Amino acid sequence: MTLPKQDSESSLQTRSDLYQKMIEEIEDYAIILMDEKGIIRNWNKGAQKIKGYTEAEIIGKHFSIFYLPEDLASGLPQKLMEQARRTGRAVQEGWRKRKDGTKFWGSITITAIHDEEHNVIGYSKVTRDLTEKKIAEDQLRMSEERYHQMIAEVQDYAIILLSPEGLIENWNIGAEKIKGYKASEVVGKKFEVFYTPEDRAVNMPYRLLEEARTTGRAAQEGWRVRKDGTRFWGSITITALHDKNGDVIGFSKVTRDLTQQKIAEDKVIAYNAELEMQNSELEQFAYVASHDLQEPLRKIQTFAELIQENYSDEEYVKRYFAKLEASAQRMAELVRSLLDYSRLAKDKEKGSRKVEQVDVDLNTIVEEVKQDFELLIEEKKAIIISNSLPVVKGNKMQIGQLISNLISNSLKFSKENPIIRVSSSIVNLSQIPDAPENLMASRYYQIIFEDNGIGFEQQYDKIIFSLFQRLHGKQHFAGTGIGLALCKKIVDNHHGHISAVSAPGKGATFNVYLPIE
Amino acid sequence: MTNSKKCLIIDDDLDDQEIFLMCLKNVNRDVEGKTANSGVEAIEMLKKDAEYTPDYIFLDVNMPKMNGVECLKHLRKIERLNSTKILMYSTTSEKDVVTESKSSGADDFIMKPVKTKELKTKLATIFNIVSEINQPD
Repeated sequence: MTLPKQDSESSLQTRSDLYQKMIEEIEDYAIILMDEKGIIRNWNKGAQKIKGYTEAEIIGKHFSIFYLPEDLASGLPQKLMEQARRTGRAVQEGWRKRKDGTKFWGSITITAIHDEEHNVIGYSKVTRDLTEKKIAEDQLRMSEERYHQMIAEVQDYAIILLSPEGLIENWNIGAEKIKGYKASEVVGKKFEVFYTPEDRAVNMPYRLLEEARTTGRAAQEGWRVRKDGTRFWGSITITALHDKNGDVIGFSKVTRDLTQQKIAEDKVIAYNAELEMQNSELEQFAYVASHDLQEPLRKIQTFAELIQENYSDEEYVKRYFAKLEASAQRMAELVRSLLDYSRLAKDKEKGSRKVEQVDVDLNTIVEEVKQDFELLIEEKKAIIISNSLPVVKGNKMQIGQLISNLISNSLKFSKENPIIRVSSSIVNLSQIPDAPENLMASRYYQIIFEDNGIGFEQQYDKIIFSLFQRLHGKQHFAGTGIGLALCKKIVDNHHGHISAVSAPGKGATFNVYLPIE
Repeated sequence: MTNSKKCLIIDDDLDDQEIFLMCLKNVNRDVEGKTANSGVEAIEMLKKDAEYTPDYIFLDVNMPKMNGVECLKHLRKIERLNSTKILMYSTTSEKDVVTESKSSGADDFIMKPVKTKELKTKLATIFNIVSEINQPD
């Protein structure tokens, strides 16, 4: 079979000519008529424009002339023609070749043309040049890929995509580096895994999501948890992502690890606090020099005067000599305690703010303290019971002084037959009541000193640890007001905490918390 | 002219109570001296015994728990002590403490002197006795 001959009827002929004309004039589509073998029989303006051949050059050529060598090698033209023959139609997009050898991206539809007996008698081939669109698409795709890659390879920021429910959908190298998880371990999980148990307990992760949902953005700095359980100080920005309707379709979460900066910042704050503390201690020292030390000195002078004036009265002289001696003794005690206290401060400065860390067996220390106080214990009929105590890391001299002061304190503020119990347990940071913010370890030894002494009103539980604060008149209990201040300083030096619980007449309990590791 | 004066000494230091009392008696033999070991004890004593209205209260500044200035504020709330002269005393005279004492209703601020003679002179001035202070002890 050949192509249909032109109709003989004139009106039909006119219409057919018109139709032919229309196709010939179309510029945006290459519309080609091929015979059943794929030989080009007809050519329009669009074809010339797109492919660069004139009608004279191309009629009689096989349509595979437009195909690239690799497509020819794989038999693409034949395959398409075969598909059109079999199914009526073949559609494809691909690179094609112009006459001048340049390429264009063509969108091609080959349609089989049948005679009345349904035999394929040829094909129409409509080609559209989509090169510009293709390039734009490719560029967009490449840009997207590059963008994706950029985010994927950013190392200093964890950039994560979250679903509206807070499930992790995407993961980058920065996230892996900062949080320690591989993408396969964490994608699909809830993003709350990065939060500390304390923050999770107050629903912080979802509060931040809600804030981002309502205000568009939530920013926060805080401690977060890595895969290995260690913590890092993260600066986090969660941004809500919206679709065209303004509905939230997810969140981006950008996290930066600012642990080093935080540590440096904290150090500056700590140095400042320490300076302030040292300043206030200096003030206290000045006060002490002017008051506490002056008091016994004044008395010594007064008693000396009284003795001089009543030299002949033996009883009088005896009485005031005794008082004079007591005052001198008290003064000596004050000076000695002050020295202890200032030496402690000095030790700390020398040791670059870190106390020497050795293993200190508290059982041994308690035994040593018992021996030191042997006479007093006997005199007071005191019983000191200690359960098996831990071995802590610290400065042996200081820890010894701490325990000695606490036991001496309990012995001093006791009535008859004092019983002092020393026991221990292990607690988490969260279990320490009123823990100061500078406690950094997660677990602590709690050393408990319980006595059945006179106790004190709970309202004084902080003041007792200040320098030269005494709760009891001098006539009842001797003391310098330095002992517990010293305990606090030692515990502070060891990055721990000391607190007291008591009620008048109900004994006192001192809790010492020392970090494990 | 001397007449009997009721004096209350509030001090946690027994030695100082003794010295103070000794000087008071020395200046004015008719002094009725009483002592309290703390602010709390003094206030309790004054509340319990409504008959007892001291003419003078000598109040130590540095005492444990309730210090002298706090005690002063409590004492000034007791109406029958309106005409009682309250005198604060201390080893040191820090400006802040003196100022707060005065503004809280103290009549005077006395330094705990080294020499009893100084204290006697001061007490004599307070009691308006000029004749006796120059006498030898």
